Amino acid sequence: MKRRKFLTSLGSDKPSSALRAPVQGVPHVASPGPAIFTNARLRTHENKEVRFYDDLIKGKQVLINLMYATCEGTCPLITSNLVKVHKALKDRMGKDLFMYSITVKPEDDDPAALKDYAEMHNALLPGWTFLTGDPYDIDTIRYRLFNMNHILVDTDVYSHTSFLLIINDATNRWLHVDPQISLFGVLRKISWADPPKSREQVIEDNRKLQEKIDQERRMYGFRKTV
Amino acid sequence: MSGPRDKKKEPRKTKKDYELSRRTMLKLTAAAGAGTVLSPMILTSRKSTVYAQGTVAEPVLCAPTPVPQSPPHTPFVDNLPVPSPAIPQFLNPAPTQNANIAGGEAARDPHQRWAQFTPAVTYQLEAKAGTHQFHSDYLPSYIWGFNGQYPGPTILNAYGIPSLVRFKNSLPATTTSFGTNKTTVHLHNGHTASESDGFAGDFFDTGLFKDNHYANAYAGIDDFPGFPAGDPREGQYTYWYHDHLQAETANNNYLGMNGIYLSYDLKTPPWEFDTPGSLRLPAYFGLTDIPILLAQKRFCATDPLNGRTEAFQVVGAGAPSTDKFTANGKIQPKLSVRRRKYRFRFINSGVVLPFTLSLHGPDGAQKPMTVVASDGNLLRQPADVSATSTPNLLEVHVSSRMDVIIDFSQFTVGQSVYLKENTQTPQFVSSPTPPDPAPGVPIGTVVMRFDVVGNTIIPDTPPIPATLTELPPIPAASTPPFEWGFRFVAGRPNAFRVSHSSIPEDNASHVATDLPFDPFTPAHVVLRGSTEEWIIRNDTLAGNWLHPVHIHLEEGRILERSICTVPSATGCLPANRTVLPMPAWEDGNNARRDVYPVPGQHRLKIRLAFRDFVGRYLIHCHNMNHEDAFMMMRWDVVESMAELRKRREEINAERIAKGDTPLYTKEELG
Repeated sequence: MKRRKFLTSLGSDKPSSALRAPVQGVPHVASPGPAIFTNARLRTHENKEVRFYDDLIKGKQVLINLMYATCEGTCPLITSNLVKVHKALKDRMGKDLFMYSITVKPEDDDPAALKDYAEMHNALLPGWTFLTGDPYDIDTIRYRLFNMNHILVDTDVYSHTSFLLIINDATNRWLHVDPQISLFGVLRKISWADPPKSREQVIEDNRKLQEKIDQERRMYGFRKTV
Repeated sequence: MSGPRDKKKEPRKTKKDYELSRRTMLKLTAAAGAGTVLSPMILTSRKSTVYAQGTVAEPVLCAPTPVPQSPPHTPFVDNLPVPSPAIPQFLNPAPTQNANIAGGEAARDPHQRWAQFTPAVTYQLEAKAGTHQFHSDYLPSYIWGFNGQYPGPTILNAYGIPSLVRFKNSLPATTTSFGTNKTTVHLHNGHTASESDGFAGDFFDTGLFKDNHYANAYAGIDDFPGFPAGDPREGQYTYWYHDHLQAETANNNYLGMNGIYLSYDLKTPPWEFDTPGSLRLPAYFGLTDIPILLAQKRFCATDPLNGRTEAFQVVGAGAPSTDKFTANGKIQPKLSVRRRKYRFRFINSGVVLPFTLSLHGPDGAQKPMTVVASDGNLLRQPADVSATSTPNLLEVHVSSRMDVIIDFSQFTVGQSVYLKENTQTPQFVSSPTPPDPAPGVPIGTVVMRFDVVGNTIIPDTPPIPATLTELPPIPAASTPPFEWGFRFVAGRPNAFRVSHSSIPEDNASHVATDLPFDPFTPAHVVLRGSTEEWIIRNDTLAGNWLHPVHIHLEEGRILERSICTVPSATGCLPANRTVLPMPAWEDGNNARRDVYPVPGQHRLKIRLAFRDFVGRYLIHCHNMNHEDAFMMMRWDVVESMAELRKRREEINAERIAKGDTPLYTKEELG
């Protein structure tokens, strides 16, 4: 009888859940872990030693960008935009969302210099860590995570990419956004790495968006900002 | 299923029972139709398992460093597939002018010109995960495609018959770093209303659908109200549809979210026999008229225990560096042809590199191809690409379409002809590298092979007419040119921004205040019914990236291509600009384009009319990871002068607030 039941389950077009392909909503590809992120020993702006993957990334949703303390190009603007991002998401920061700013000039930026930089930009905030470390490790991380496949950017730390990497390690979701676009644009992109929305939430969000569109059409006669 | 033996035991059925079961059958078929009818489920067992499972497991990605070499393959094993036509079907719920929110449609503006162009044909394409075998030597790879296929089904249309395609998002709810499970689909380059144009910010989630309404009318609907509506000289025939999700277009397209869309009219009907107005070009879809979607891929062996599973390779946030060419999803396929003319529609589906094609006979000598259309638009006069022509290679930039006619009657039965790619790094075939198939044609450079197998069965078409079409006159521009320029800015190579020809080139407006794509603010606003001259310039040095710039909604005419001979940080003096000759498929007097290739130091002057529709549109570099990063801007079409003035004043005010030069002069405010 049991054997028969087993055979029936094989033959039917609805196999038992154990045989079925991964269920939607469940991550089926694990994070590559240190194989890509490395587990380099880095130092935080509070001079604490951390392991890059184990302590900072593993199982978390994180935002990572590159900077250096004396950068006068786009870095200050990006840092101030990231402060705005932090403010908008402060309920989640340090709990299920973390921000890491990695210096690309570790030989100049010791933990104290990073702390000064953070202080100067009002960026000493919960859940936001500035990181330095061995130049070789930092270069490896920069090359693996921020590779642009553009020779001028990839080989020159001074034209390092301005991308903000958005990684949800629990679902192995990777995205990037330029933090210089509007705050709303950045927040929306960050939300793409959130755990998947329920069906009800998708429908509700869609309904709200249509309401906004209709409202704008009434106000301006056309869809303006959404 | 009950066999004939069981049937005897069943109680006799009344007529009503049979009717009921027949009706149930029909219902079931209709319900299943949504997901299954469009794809050749019966043809391949592999694809049918996709449907049975509902979900395809994602592959484990290979590590980005060191970049793996793709597994070897044997050349010319697979036949070139032709993506099968999509089959029209009734949609449930029926399409509506306003978004059917309760029925699960994504939020959008109401369809424009809905009553005028009520859709006569409707399709459903479902974006979902599937598998595709890129070569017989490979195991199936994980893809995202429309109806789970790569390339997606081909949509065949006729001018005058409006269509509607329901794009359903059934991508996996949880994904890895590969693509993003939201989508918005652009028909490149349809004369399409904004809400159906796949605007990059109009994406929608898994579980929702969106109806894209295609009028299938020529541009100029109001001025030419006949049937089919619009100016027939504006005919476009070769399109492709693809995912246009902001910041994720490269990944989603690399995964396979694109397909082909063709339009026919009496000038280029889908038949070859003589009918009034027909050009009689090779026209039987899949037989003598074959679209070829070109792409580059890289694969890695990810399952060493059980043979291997090839996965796409994605490297960091940047462009995938690739080592295989694919044509219609196959690596180095072959196609049997007969001694007659064929039309091939080359489409470069990217992600970032141009294909530079030439045709070579078995002796290695270059053989002629005749270009008849560029970016889907018939050339006024066709032009040859041959050993003696200038240029002697056919550049197909990302998202560009080039229709060529190849006459195989110049070859003898049994000969093989090779399509060669000239500028990219040759693909890796196998180790040791197989011998050159023809002198001077290394195997790695061959995209595909044509085998001349016999004399023609279907009679050959007459010679290609010397004049294919009359082009509409290039309209006069109402304002001095606006400029869209690329500059090299630290951290964002080749920033892209809008400026104005009246603003001096050394002004800060031309330099570093550039912003990446923001779907919420337009960079420029134009009036419906107006014509503008736009300059697209690439101020980076020669040898930097070439940017194939794409402008939505309208086809443009290139007036002039020039190069700056003495580039400087403060722009180019007019005396240092040299006008360059343009090939026949670029010159505005002979061709219309929607992809404008702009290499470093080049400057293109184009003219565009904005007709028929209003709303939000895009201008962007079509190197997909470039548009994803920052090289994209929104521009809007508005209906009235009052609105134009208001919107332009807003843009000026915003720019002044940022410390920028205003974009519009007083006269241009309207």
